[in-house]
Order: sequence, then structure tokens, then C-alpha cells
Amino acid sequence: MSGVLLTVETLRKAFGSRRVLDAAQLRIDAGESYVLTGENGSGKTTLLRVLAGLENAEVGACSFDGRKVDLGLYPDWLRQEVIYVHQHPYLFRTSVTDNIAYGLKARGLSAAVREPLVREAIAWAGIGHLLDVPPHKLSGGEKQRVALARARVLKPRLFLLDEPTANLDAEARQQTMALIRDLCDANSAVVLSCHDREIIELPHMHRLHMENGRIDSQNGLNAAAPIPVK
Amino acid sequence: MDWLSTTHDAFALLFSGDRELWQIILISLRVSLIAMLIASPAAVAIGYFLATASFPGRRFLIVVTQGLLASPTVVVGLILYLLLSRQGIFGSLKLLFTQEAMIIGQVLIALPVLVAFTVSAVQGADPRARETAISLGATPLRSAWTTLIEVRFGVMAAVFNAFGRIVSEIGCSLMVGGNIAGVTRNIPTAIALETSKGEFAQGIALGFVLLIVALGVNFALAFAQGEGGMK
Repeated sequence: MSGVLLTVETLRKAFGSRRVLDAAQLRIDAGESYVLTGENGSGKTTLLRVLAGLENAEVGACSFDGRKVDLGLYPDWLRQEVIYVHQHPYLFRTSVTDNIAYGLKARGLSAAVREPLVREAIAWAGIGHLLDVPPHKLSGGEKQRVALARARVLKPRLFLLDEPTANLDAEARQQTMALIRDLCDANSAVVLSCHDREIIELPHMHRLHMENGRIDSQNGLNAAAPIPVK
Repeated sequence: MDWLSTTHDAFALLFSGDRELWQIILISLRVSLIAMLIASPAAVAIGYFLATASFPGRRFLIVVTQGLLASPTVVVGLILYLLLSRQGIFGSLKLLFTQEAMIIGQVLIALPVLVAFTVSAVQGADPRARETAISLGATPLRSAWTTLIEVRFGVMAAVFNAFGRIVSEIGCSLMVGGNIAGVTRNIPTAIALETSKGEFAQGIALGFVLLIVALGVNFALAFAQGEGGMK
């Protein structure tokens, strides 16, 4: 899949006198994967949250799949296309299955339609053995995998993942990495922030380096150059 | 006064199925439960709105609501009495000295408790809960409901606290209910009346019921909270 999925001209945000985002332009192509790198406080999370409609910002012209959008108003149809996953995902105080089905229910899908999709997502994330465990008793890595399954089941066109492997032990990190690799190989676009070299060096991963709220683009509007396959 | 025999008389009265006593208990529970059914949905919605919305005067409204937590029930009763009395704005409704007037009064007393506790519960919620719901495509109504479900123990505490306050309040019930036997006499007004007459047995029996209701409500809350509530 190719073609422009998301373009944003001018992204500015400040907390008080501190400017946390000051990007001139951003372009995300359909089906491509992007990694946001940069020091803590460089604006990676803020950028993802603005793109997810969870944070207001001064945004210039923006379009998604050719349709003009106002990120401040964030139309319902865009919510169906973009999913954001927190660095420490929040799982609702219900079952793992209900967590994964949440977005499908919100979209008004019947139980008969939901069930096979949820089953498939559970199998994809390898979390079948966690279904009887209360979500608050899951480890960080297990929560991350449930959250990825909960996002993937909705088949969004754009995943926004904030530091998905941060603070995970080696085993949990490997399991999460496998899911991220799979997401990046699928048709959706993925934008994730991280410091994890293994993710940064994934084949076909585009790098967007952020510094003081600015995106250090290496080739103009395309914003990032693919890292050569190793 | 012989405390032992009076207490014995109280329990004998309670378990003898005394019609007058049980009528008082039923009126009390009926009025307070209806008041809670009316006040709770509206107050929880207002509380959620105050906790999450952003508008000028929001902070002021929260402070006013918190201030009203300590409002004397007799003052609420007095204001309501003036409104419902024949010369009052709502005098034509002829609600004074009815259970309906007591329900209105108890709704007014319960509202600030419910709103303030709900505001506190929602403000204490993990912001990721609402954000996750929104990001997964929930409508504002569904994300509000999800957030309230996530802080359900706080909301339940609001409901039980408000119920505890209105079921035991006497000032408003006495002012707008009039303590009419079989009509508006509830547990607190009956206790006050019987005690003033020196009839301590019925007062103790009703006090015991009130205590059981209060304890029952707290046990219900602890049970609902699951393993965390009984620690």
C-alpha cells in the first residue's frame, strides 16, 4: 500500500512559556512505519497525543487520506482510523476479553460479529492464557500486549504507539517486539516513539528525529529517510 | 431510667412486629430511597461534568458544592418551608407536610454530597481511562460512562454517604413533613418525639434500626469493593 495518509502543516504547542512542539510539516504515508527518536522532553509523546486528538495544539492545514480535517475537533470518522496506545497502557477494570472488545462495542458491532474478531486478536497477541487474570494483576508486558490486541482488533489505518517497549523486561520486550514487527509488516501505518535500537533499526522503518519540539526531517516533506535494511 | 429494661423493651417492640414502629421505618426508607433515586443520576452527571469540563466559574461551582456539604438540614427545611407554605411561590402545589415535600428536601440535601463526592472520584480517576476510551472510538457519553464505571467505588461511596445523611436527617423532615403519624413520621422525627415524651423504648428501637441501616450501607460498600474493601 502506498500514498499519503496524513499530512500536517505546522504543529505548535507550548506549556506556558516552554514550547514543546514546533514542527513545520509532517507526512505519514499509508502502510509505512515511522519511529520518533529523540531525548526525553523532545516532544515525541506530545506529537503522538496531538495526532490522536488527545491534546490541543496550534495546527495548520491537515488532511487524512485526502480529506481535510481539524485535529482540534477530531471528527468521529478519524477516531475510527487512528488508535493511540499509551506508554503504560490503561486496561479497564473488566475482563481481558471485554477490554479487547471495547472498541468494537463502541462501534456498535453485535456480539456475533465481535466474538471471532476478539478471538483472532487474542490468538495474535498470544494472550489466551491471560483471559481469566484480572487486568490489574497483569505485568507491564502483558498489559502492553493486551493493549496492542485491543488496538489491532479495530484495524485502524494509523497506529500511534508511545514507547511500547519501555520498562519491559527482556522476555516481555521480545514478545512486544514481535507484535510490533507484525504491525509494521501489515497494511496500517505505524508511528511509534522509542529509544529501543532494535525497533529503530527494523527494516523499512523511517526515522523522525525530534529535538526541542522540532522534527529533524532528512528529506523535506517526506520527513524521514528509510534506514537501510541490515 | 433503667437502661437494661428499656433496651429489652426496645427489642421486644422491634421484634413484636409493632405496626406503628414498622410504619415509621417504612416511611423513612421509602422517602430516602425515592430521594436517592431522583438525586443520584442527576448529581452524578453534574459531578462528572464539573470534574471534566472546562468553563469559567467551574472552580467556583465546585467550591460552592463542597461548602453546601456542611449546610444545616434545618436551613434547607426552612427555605423549603417558605417556598411550599401557602404564601410561598409553590404554595398552590399543597405539598407542605407531605412525603413529597420530605423527598424534595432530601433530594436537596443529597445533591451536594453526591456532586462533591463524584467530582472528587472523577478528578481522582486515572486520566488514561478516559483517553483510552476516546481513542478506542467511544462517544463522549460512552467515555463518561466508562470513566464512571472505572471510579465506581468512589461513586458508590457518594451514594452511600448521601443516603446515610438523608436517612438520618431530622431538621428538614420535621420542618416540611410535620411529623404526622402514619404519614410523614420517619425514624429521626419519631426518635425526637418519643424521647421528648420520655418513651425511650421506641426511641432506642428506632435508633437501633438507623444504626443497622448505616452499618448495612457501609458493609454493602465494602462488599461491593471486593477484596480491597474488606481488608
